[in-house]
Amino acid sequence: MFKPVGSAEATMTIYLDGRAIPARAGETIAACLLRAGVTHFRTTPVSGAKRLPYCMIGHCFDCLIEIDGIGSRQACLNAVEIGMRLRTQDGPASIPGLDV
Amino acid sequence: MMLAPDADAIIIGAGPAGMSAAIELASSGCRVIVLDMQPSPGGQVYRSLDENMQARPQTDDLLSALGPAYSAGLPLIARFRATPGIEYRPSTTVWDLRADGTVGWLDGEAAGYLRAPHVILACGAMERPTPFPGWTLPGVMTAGAVQTLLKAGRLKPAGRIVLAGTGPLIVLLADQLRRLGVRPALIARTDRLKDKFTALKTLHPTGVPALLKGLGWLARLRLAGVPMQTGISGLEAHGRGRLTSVRMIAAGRTIEIACDLLVVHDGIVPSTDLAHAAGLALEWLKDDASWRPRTTLDGRAEMAPGPALTMGPCRIRITGDARRIGGADAAVAHGRHAAGAILAELGHAAGKPAAGLTGIDVQRALATRPFLDAAFPPGLAAQLPDDAAIVCRCEEITAGALRAMIQDGTSDMNLIRGTLRCGMGACQGRSCAATLARFLMEADPDRPQPPSPFRARPPVRPLPLGALANMTGLDPELAQIESLDDKPEAIIENDTHA
Repeated sequence: MFKPVGSAEATMTIYLDGRAIPARAGETIAACLLRAGVTHFRTTPVSGAKRLPYCMIGHCFDCLIEIDGIGSRQACLNAVEIGMRLRTQDGPASIPGLDV
Repeated sequence: MMLAPDADAIIIGAGPAGMSAAIELASSGCRVIVLDMQPSPGGQVYRSLDENMQARPQTDDLLSALGPAYSAGLPLIARFRATPGIEYRPSTTVWDLRADGTVGWLDGEAAGYLRAPHVILACGAMERPTPFPGWTLPGVMTAGAVQTLLKAGRLKPAGRIVLAGTGPLIVLLADQLRRLGVRPALIARTDRLKDKFTALKTLHPTGVPALLKGLGWLARLRLAGVPMQTGISGLEAHGRGRLTSVRMIAAGRTIEIACDLLVVHDGIVPSTDLAHAAGLALEWLKDDASWRPRTTLDGRAEMAPGPALTMGPCRIRITGDARRIGGADAAVAHGRHAAGAILAELGHAAGKPAAGLTGIDVQRALATRPFLDAAFPPGLAAQLPDDAAIVCRCEEITAGALRAMIQDGTSDMNLIRGTLRCGMGACQGRSCAATLARFLMEADPDRPQPPSPFRARPPVRPLPLGALANMTGLDPELAQIESLDDKPEAIIENDTHA
C-alpha cells in the first residue's frame, strides 16, 4: 500500500510478533509498519475486525498496538526504538498475569 | 487561589499558530512553555520539515514534491527554536485543561500539572468525520494521514489508489502524488462546477493567488491524464478484512473500481476536544457539520453556561485552526494577534504593533475562507449515512442503532453514549460526536439548544497509571497523600493486607 520515497534508510530493527522489521530512526511505528506491508495492527474488541491507521494524527485511535508489553498504545504518535517489541493486539488490551 | 505559576503563558501546540504566539510573547520577555504532541515543531502543515531539510539530498525528491508551501515554514520553525524564553516540550500530550490556567501533561512515563495566568490553545484541526459504509476497512485513510505519511514517514502510496471527497487538500495531495510519479485510478469529487460559480461571488481579491494555484493543480492533473469525476455521491468501500473496491454514484449511474487504498477527505474542522473538556463554550455550525469554540477576535474563549470545574475568570485563548479554519498564514497572523492581546494585558505592549493592525492581518488572512467554504461544501458528510454504516469506529455502533434510539425519543448525547456506548471507546468520541449531533439535529431541527459534544472529564487522552502515581505539580489543597498512618485502625498485627 505504501513504499518509500527514495531509499528507506533503515538503520535499526524492531520486531512485530517476533518478526524483524527494518526501521528508520525518527519515524513513527505506524509509518514503519505500513512500509513493511503489515495488514492490520489490531482487531477490534467488539467484532474482531481488522484495523489499520486511519487519521495518523492521534485522533482516531485505530492504530492501537502493544508496545513493549503495554497494550492499546498509539502507533502514530510513538517513534520506533532499537529492538522495540510490538505485538498485534487482538481485541482489548491484556495485562500480563491478570484476567480482566 | 492559584499556585505559583510555572510560566507567564502555556501554549498547547507547536504548529504555525502556537509557534507564532510563542515567538511574540517570548521576544517581549515572557517566559513561555510550549507543549506539543509531535517530536518536532511545525504542526501538521510543516510536519517533520526540519528533519527533511537536514536529511537532504536524500529528501530532495520529497521536498520538491511537497512544494514551496511546505518549505515556507522553515523560517518560522528556525525562529521558534532560536527565540530565548521558550521552553519547548515536544512529544508531550495534554490530557487535562482547565479554565483557570491549569494544564495536565504527559511525556512518556512522566506526567504532571503546569499552571500559568494565560493559556493559548493552538491544537489545530482534524478532518471532518465522514462515516460511510466500509470506512473502517484497512486501506481506507484520510488525505491528512497520507500527507503525514509523506512528510514524516517519507512514504508514498502504491497500487490502485482512489481519492474521494472534496476540499483544496485533496487536489493538492493529488498534485503532490503526481510529482512523485503516483497516478491515482480516480479522483472522485463530491463538489460540482456550479459550487465554483456560486463561490465566485464570495471571492475576495486576496484569494485570487490561491484560486490560481488551485487551477494550476487541476490543469496539471488533467494534463497528466488523471481521471477526475465531480458530483459523486453514495461512496462505499468494500472488501473482506481489507479494502478491495470502492463504489459510488457518478453522473446518475453506479460505478465500481478495484482499489487497494481509498483516500478520503471532506475538509477540516477545529479540534475542540480540549476546549470542550475545559468547559469552554462551543457553537454548532449546521452547514459545516462541526463545532467551533466561541471566541472574540483576539481569541479569548468564554465558559459554557452551567456549573464549571474551576472558579474565577477564563484564562484561555484559542488561536489558529483550533479557533477558525484558515490555514497556516491565518494561523500565524492570529497567533501573533492573540499574543499581542496578552502582552497588552501584561503591560508589555510598548513598541509592539497596535492590536488594530494585527487584527487587520487576521481579517485579511481569513478573507479567502468564505470562497473556499462555498467552492468545497461538505460532501461526504452532506447526507447522514445509511443504517448499516458504522458511526462510532471504536465501539462499532451503526447509524441504524443510533436512529432507532433517537426515534424512541432520546435526544441527549450523554444518554446515548451511556446506553449504546457510542463515543465510549478509545478515541473518546472524537470521531463520532459530530455525526451523532447531526442525527439529533435532523430528528429535531427546532430543539432549543444544538447538542454539545459528549461530556468530557480528564484524562481526555490515555494516562498510564504509573505516570498518574508519580505526578508532579499537584495542588496540595486538592491532592491528599494517604498513608497507613492516616488509618491506624487498619494496621492489625500479622495482617499483610493492611
